[in-house]
Amino acid sequence: MALILLPLVFGIIAWFVPGNISRIFGLIASTVTLAWSIIAVSYFEPSEHLLVDFGLRFVRFSIDSLGFTMVLLTNSVFFLVFLSNFNTSIVHEKRFTALALLMQFGLLGLFTTNTILGFYIFWELTLLPIFLILYWFGAFDKPRALLQFFLYTLVGSLAMLLSIIGLMHLTNQQTYDALLAADIQSFGNTSIFLMGGFLLAFAVKIPLFPFHTWQAETYTKAPTAGTMLLSAIMLKMALFGLLKWVLPIFDGNATDFWRWPVITLGLVGIIYGAVIAIRQQNLKTLFAYASLSHLGLIAAALMLQNEHTNLISVVQIVNHSIVSIGLFLAAGIIEERLGTQQLDQLGGIAKVAPRFGFWFAVLTFVSLSVPFTAGFIGEFFLIKALFSAHTFTGILASTTLVLGAVYMLKAYQVPMFGPTKINSFQDLHWSELAVFAILSIAAIYLGLAPQCITDFVAHSLTQPTH
Amino acid sequence: MAKDLTLLLLLALPLLGFAVNGLFGKRLPKIIVGSLATGLVFTAFLLATSLFSGLHGTQIVHLFNIIDFDQLQINASFQIDALSVWMTLIITGIGSLIHLFSMGYMSHDEGYHKFFTYLNLFIFSMLLLVLGSNYFVLFFGWEGVGMCSYLLISFHYNDAQKGLANSLAGRKAFIMNRIGDVGLLLALFMLLGQFNTLEFLKIGAAVQQNTALQGGAMFFITLSLFIAATGKSAQIPLFTWLPDAMAGPTPVSALIHAATMVTAGIYLTVRSNFLFELAPFTKDIMLYVGLATTLFAAFMALRQNDIKKVLAYSTVSQLGLMFVALGFGAYTVALFHVTTHAFFKALLFLGSGSVIHGMHEEQDIRKMGGLAKLMPVTHFTFLIGTMAISGIPLLSGFFSKDEIMAQALHHNTFVYVVLVLAVTMTAIYMFRLYFLTFHGAFRGGEALKSKVHESGLSMTLPLILLAVLSIFGGLLNLPGLFFKGAAHWFDHYLSHSTFGLSEVHNVHLDFNTSIGLMLFASAVAIGVMIWAYLNYAKKGALAKEDAALSGWERLSAQKLYIDEIYHAVFVRPLLAFSDFIGKVVDIQMLRNGIYALADGILYSANLTRKWQTGFLSSYLFWMIFGLITFIAYYILKLSVWH
Repeated sequence: MALILLPLVFGIIAWFVPGNISRIFGLIASTVTLAWSIIAVSYFEPSEHLLVDFGLRFVRFSIDSLGFTMVLLTNSVFFLVFLSNFNTSIVHEKRFTALALLMQFGLLGLFTTNTILGFYIFWELTLLPIFLILYWFGAFDKPRALLQFFLYTLVGSLAMLLSIIGLMHLTNQQTYDALLAADIQSFGNTSIFLMGGFLLAFAVKIPLFPFHTWQAETYTKAPTAGTMLLSAIMLKMALFGLLKWVLPIFDGNATDFWRWPVITLGLVGIIYGAVIAIRQQNLKTLFAYASLSHLGLIAAALMLQNEHTNLISVVQIVNHSIVSIGLFLAAGIIEERLGTQQLDQLGGIAKVAPRFGFWFAVLTFVSLSVPFTAGFIGEFFLIKALFSAHTFTGILASTTLVLGAVYMLKAYQVPMFGPTKINSFQDLHWSELAVFAILSIAAIYLGLAPQCITDFVAHSLTQPTH
Repeated sequence: MAKDLTLLLLLALPLLGFAVNGLFGKRLPKIIVGSLATGLVFTAFLLATSLFSGLHGTQIVHLFNIIDFDQLQINASFQIDALSVWMTLIITGIGSLIHLFSMGYMSHDEGYHKFFTYLNLFIFSMLLLVLGSNYFVLFFGWEGVGMCSYLLISFHYNDAQKGLANSLAGRKAFIMNRIGDVGLLLALFMLLGQFNTLEFLKIGAAVQQNTALQGGAMFFITLSLFIAATGKSAQIPLFTWLPDAMAGPTPVSALIHAATMVTAGIYLTVRSNFLFELAPFTKDIMLYVGLATTLFAAFMALRQNDIKKVLAYSTVSQLGLMFVALGFGAYTVALFHVTTHAFFKALLFLGSGSVIHGMHEEQDIRKMGGLAKLMPVTHFTFLIGTMAISGIPLLSGFFSKDEIMAQALHHNTFVYVVLVLAVTMTAIYMFRLYFLTFHGAFRGGEALKSKVHESGLSMTLPLILLAVLSIFGGLLNLPGLFFKGAAHWFDHYLSHSTFGLSEVHNVHLDFNTSIGLMLFASAVAIGVMIWAYLNYAKKGALAKEDAALSGWERLSAQKLYIDEIYHAVFVRPLLAFSDFIGKVVDIQMLRNGIYALADGILYSANLTRKWQTGFLSSYLFWMIFGLITFIAYYILKLSVWH
């Protein structure tokens, strides 16, 4: 199963690659894995499950169409992260290249594993590289800011571990299919606690209000590449875990119990994040709160356990990856060239760097979910699902349209159109241009043909689960 | 050519212009960029006329599926019927004239190619809006035009003096429009919930079959649609963005903020007429909101001194008038006024653009005067526009306004009286504008006077054509008094092949009342014209300085302080709330709470001093500890039980 192991091999090699060609190595490695997964997907029959067994007792793999979508997403994200940072200093560090590839391995494992123990192992495995990336390359002046991130994840992970132990103990099963078939509902309140453990881990990672306080600071202080990895793919692990594992397995009284609490937290996050974002002066902090707002919507909609909503949420997951790479790239470009991302020190960039001005504008509109972009389809149907379930919730969720316009236009207009406060600004490097173009094309394509994802994913999400 | 091909080509042409000018416009000479954009829109107009002449019933053109789930299908499909073709004619017809005008107006602008790129994108979005066969495609266009409007309002963002104001105006427009968009979004949700489709025809058929539809649901659906309309069509309470939108280049004001985009709310209502007919309460709300808007906006226009601001408030006021007609269920009457208004308001805006161009970017009418001799063509066409909008007999505005007044007189005398007031104010501010600009002595100084010039042919030709339309536009829908055979052509045209409209009939007054109504309206308009001539041209009364304004004048000049009130009631509290939860709740309460916890743990683990090593190793320790415990447990369990 070279698909999963490839990044691991590359990651190990990367430790021994000299620093000056490390960025080329990273780009090549991620290109190869992406190409490989594209080839693999063309041979893949979406209705099938591809079982892979290395002979390990506790870690086995099985790929279905949802898993494949996430694998493709992961590999694309890593390719884009390497490409977009081609011109920055971080990729000259072989440590970064190696860690990123190791993290890619962890993510691929998580999206394809078939055992609950494997899910936990890969969950933790992804954490170590990102943690080291933040630690080595981040700008954390105070250790406790990073410690906060660590503490949160640790508590979440431990809770999940306990739940996994409990689950395996009670059902005496460990594979996905067996757990699905098990009668969890008969455990009564115990199943509510077990699900709670998972939810806590996910709530920290997504993040859901009020478990989000690590996010703004971590996103702001992390190197741009790290922020991209965190927001474009790492937190999707939690949404994936919710969609694929927790909600189907705990279908029944436990999900019913947690549905409205989680939706409420998601809803609070939607509004809370958006309102805070309005007054942020730091671009990355602003985008971090925006992310809190966007992901609250996906998490809330997933809890509805509605077939169509689940399909659309995958579109929205992909869309959020597109948006977060694009926006954090823009913030990173500004920070790298001007040494600041405080809005009050920026202005007039579009005049000296028209190409950047144009592409940042496109990504701004993509993140505003205007029609013709994937976000429009995503937001429309997710909010609609909430509206159908509970009218008032839907109305509250739709305020994100207005608040989103307020903070995103500020984030774009002040640095780009504002009174000139900068002297010179180097326009886009070819690699950055390529990333913006790829992201925009993907967003528009998915905005017009979301069906290409939903049809594909439908094979693994619409089968009867019981 | 088959109709579906014609339609798709019609849509594709502006998109092509957008793509070519967007990609290569920078490297192409200006004349090619401008001619290409203009030519494509004009070709689209020709295609629209062929659709118009071959119009027969309603035809759906299906392109592809956007969403195709078991019960729910959402298609990218289009509808050819009287309403959509009529709107297409206006958009492409007026659109190509304004494109032509822009070739002259923008000739010195460094963003020339960008301007035409956006303009073509706007035409494309607007065509989507009116041609879509369901609310989803309509929404695509709806937000698309909002986006183009934003880009074009803040077009001159790097202007030295007004750059910041321009970009803020763009932002304000986008945000206020988005508030309206939420209304449209909610309406779509409810329609989907109720009918499980967004196709106009299917919803219409369902409404007809099931007359027992829940009244409350219809009320909320139509109310949400109306909220959407107040955003796009600048009605109370969401109208304040439109005057600010005058920050955009003048052709943009003419095309987007007068002739086409702002009428999208009217179009939406007419298109949804079968829903509104089931919700009389929403129609009443619409009537009174429109009435209040038309009155207050006309009042605010009385003492504006910026030539474009007067026209902007006038647009808001005229849109209000159209909503009054809609409130009475007189859909074709509203659309008739949309049409004539598109002619004369585009003319007036382009005329003001020609003035501004000739005056070297001066927009203050206090610095103008006597331009009639310096810019004869602009002057003459502007006069026609002024007479048309003021309701001087036999010009287009006279007929379309008269129909609305007739509806009001029949249904509700109070509304009629208020409308008379608003219409009188319209004549007053328009003639004030006209006489101050074109008559009297030139007040801008000798240096400027020597530089003032009449505009070139690409700008005057559209003016002349629009002036002709403004004169004869009334022929489209003559009243039934004198011209029995030719009368009400427009009403028939629309109601015969637009869904729902055949069921709705406008009231027609008896002969004597009609004559009386027309004579009274003519007397008012002509009386005001004479008064304004004596006051502003003969006596030379000038626009006063701000300090010299009396009480009501100040209220008008300061736009009733609506912007200030909104700022105090909505903007400031929102910012304060944002600060509060951002700084107090998020940072001080939540985050610092976690920090305290973290400090406690660091302290108890005595790691504070050996932070750098202890931190990482403790993490690794915990992770590996967890893993080992887990695996050990599992192995133990297996070995015991098996």
